[in-house]
Amino acid sequence: MIPSDHFTRFYNEVFKFLEKQGEEDLKQYWLEISKNQEKHTLDLFREKGLKGMYEYWDHIRIEENCDLDLKLEDDKLELKMNVCPSLSKVLDNDAEPMKRYCDHCAGWIGPIMDKVGYHLVYDVIDRSKPQCVVKIFKDKEKAIEEEKNVKLLMGWPGKK
Amino acid sequence: MTDKNPTSLRYHDKGNVHMDFHGATNTTINFIIEKYGIKTMNDIFKKVGNDVYADIKKHIQSGNIKVLAEHWQHFFDREGADFSISIKENEIILTVKKCTAYEHVKKLVGKVSPNFCDQTIKTNEAIAEGTPYEIKTEILGEASCKQIIRKRL
Repeated sequence: MIPSDHFTRFYNEVFKFLEKQGEEDLKQYWLEISKNQEKHTLDLFREKGLKGMYEYWDHIRIEENCDLDLKLEDDKLELKMNVCPSLSKVLDNDAEPMKRYCDHCAGWIGPIMDKVGYHLVYDVIDRSKPQCVVKIFKDKEKAIEEEKNVKLLMGWPGKK
Repeated sequence: MTDKNPTSLRYHDKGNVHMDFHGATNTTINFIIEKYGIKTMNDIFKKVGNDVYADIKKHIQSGNIKVLAEHWQHFFDREGADFSISIKENEIILTVKKCTAYEHVKKLVGKVSPNFCDQTIKTNEAIAEGTPYEIKTEILGEASCKQIIRKRL
């Protein structure tokens, strides 16, 4: 068994292999992970909207030992990841980190937000640091406006 | 779950455990095998064994096989598995009566990949490769296995 504690280091090896195959291969994998994650998120997000998203990431905050601030507003959910355990483990690793490790996160979350009709603005800030800011909007125009303020905006397969 | 504090482990995780990662591992195994074939999947596990677990490999190379027992104890304990470890001078046997990773995936998706346990078999083989020891994994049944490290003959 690769312990669940070490999943992200396994993930990192998969990303390195796929990156060598090409961008399309990476995107197909993110979409596969996104489908996997639908089991945990889709119904909750459709039924409860931003409140359901808050519930999901609050559970993740605890279970994955994240240093994460969550702020729920009427039209927006903000996740401020102060210390991301996923990238932290990949950096604290005897194997070489994949330089674009962070990209997978928007890669699976983005397609789910597209499906449920919400608008994701994913600021990775700096791929070498385990921190990011994620904002999810009800209103598309507000998301487009917010995109002007980010440092390193992430995309995902199918992003318009 | 207990939180022992083994000092010789390179990775010594604490805190909560996110078992759903095993579901993502299962998805990954299916995806890689379907798209690239089983050899590619095994090569990735080999990289995990050689590179991610380079420190365990180094210990085994120098004859300290107890570090593997320490690794097993720490992580199977954290995941709440039903297991036992028997330690002799040149042989350590881990018997997993109930693998909680396998059980969790079964609960999540119903059908576990037939190659799910390759993560154990192939990663173990890679950790031992090039050392005076071998690590054999015997599948005893669903969610149950025996992992044995012993000197090569």
